[in-house]
Amino acid sequence: MNTVSETTVDNTLLADMTQVAQARDTRALERLFDHYAPRIRAFCLASQPGANLMADDIAQEVMIRIWNKAHLYNPATASLNTWIFTIARNARIDYMRKNGRYQSDIDPEEFWSEMADENADPFREAQQQRDQVRIREGLTHLPTEQQQVLSKVYLEGKSHSEASEELGLPLGTVKSRVRLALNKLSVIIKR
Amino acid sequence: MLSCHPSLDILTDYSSGTLPLAHALGVSVHLDQCPHCREQMRRLNNVGAELFAEQIIDSRPEHMASLKSNVLAAIANSDQPVAHSKHESEQETVFQHIPRSLRRLIPKGFNELNWMPLTPSFKLATLSDEAGGPQIALSRVKPGARLPNHTHTGNEITVVLKGAFSDDEGLYREGDFICRDHNHKHQPRVTKDAECICLIILDSPIEFTGWLTRFLNPIMRYFHPNKGNALPS
Repeated sequence: MNTVSETTVDNTLLADMTQVAQARDTRALERLFDHYAPRIRAFCLASQPGANLMADDIAQEVMIRIWNKAHLYNPATASLNTWIFTIARNARIDYMRKNGRYQSDIDPEEFWSEMADENADPFREAQQQRDQVRIREGLTHLPTEQQQVLSKVYLEGKSHSEASEELGLPLGTVKSRVRLALNKLSVIIKR
Repeated sequence: MLSCHPSLDILTDYSSGTLPLAHALGVSVHLDQCPHCREQMRRLNNVGAELFAEQIIDSRPEHMASLKSNVLAAIANSDQPVAHSKHESEQETVFQHIPRSLRRLIPKGFNELNWMPLTPSFKLATLSDEAGGPQIALSRVKPGARLPNHTHTGNEITVVLKGAFSDDEGLYREGDFICRDHNHKHQPRVTKDAECICLIILDSPIEFTGWLTRFLNPIMRYFHPNKGNALPS
């Protein structure tokens, strides 16, 4: 994987995001759309294969939220990928809730939102980028079985027990693979 | 520094969006108060974000173009988001001890909730009862009081919002996140200095095991959304 050119892509997207937030530049939003909307669709289709209408709805919804919430984005608290991933994840949860069997009066946007960290300092922005690159590289070096459980959990939106059922593995094995993977990516903070 | 945190499994499920909503609310209330778990969550979200960014994409350009024009049309018609007009200072006193994630469910402060007294020292207020889902409630216990001996028939999440309580396993303070499973039988006791308010998320009703408090069980079942045919006769 060519990390250098990916970092350039990251920086271009970040510049577009700044343009959207500060200049309300719709051309910049179009470029964000070109990059992210197909990923949002893929993310939805991973959890509900064949649900093209849902994927289209959520992709549009997320792009509109990005436009409306642009002023809330702070590169020191989250990379752009992370910010957009959490919006897409919340939109997917919300869609399932509204179309689910049980109506719930808990709105995931109320609390499952991007965490605003008041204490974020500008120095953290560089840290965010380093974390992002480290995780991206780490993912390519994970054993296939660990990549597989991570994508079941994060992309297909399967719980540990659903993943264990689908993969025909004991629950303990799924949990330990997730842990091993997170450990290799050095994302676990020791207490 | 808080001493009780959600497990890494629970945090991962929260980050990937697979945790049931009611449980996620409990985690979120803890996150509001725990910088340590916020940092852990930030890192877990980064993992999801990079998997998300590296997906193989397969969308027809003409299809994407039509979605894009819908988005552009929608934002052209939308107004700028309005800033919050509430008086911050006024809000702050009402929301003392109420973490951000709970403010919509407790809009007027603890005292304005519909508290149901179960014993002279123990009250319960239901916040949300999604049919068939877990019960989300607040418990309010007087200083120094002991809760009736009880057992959990399903999983229970407790987050301390105000005050402190202890049981045979330890002392729990504001912000602590405690997850108990159905094998657990305990008798919590609130510290003497202040009342204790906790957020509780119950997969199924609590069962009291004391001979005198057993009469509460039909009530607990009645107020749990997952009541099925357990209505008091």
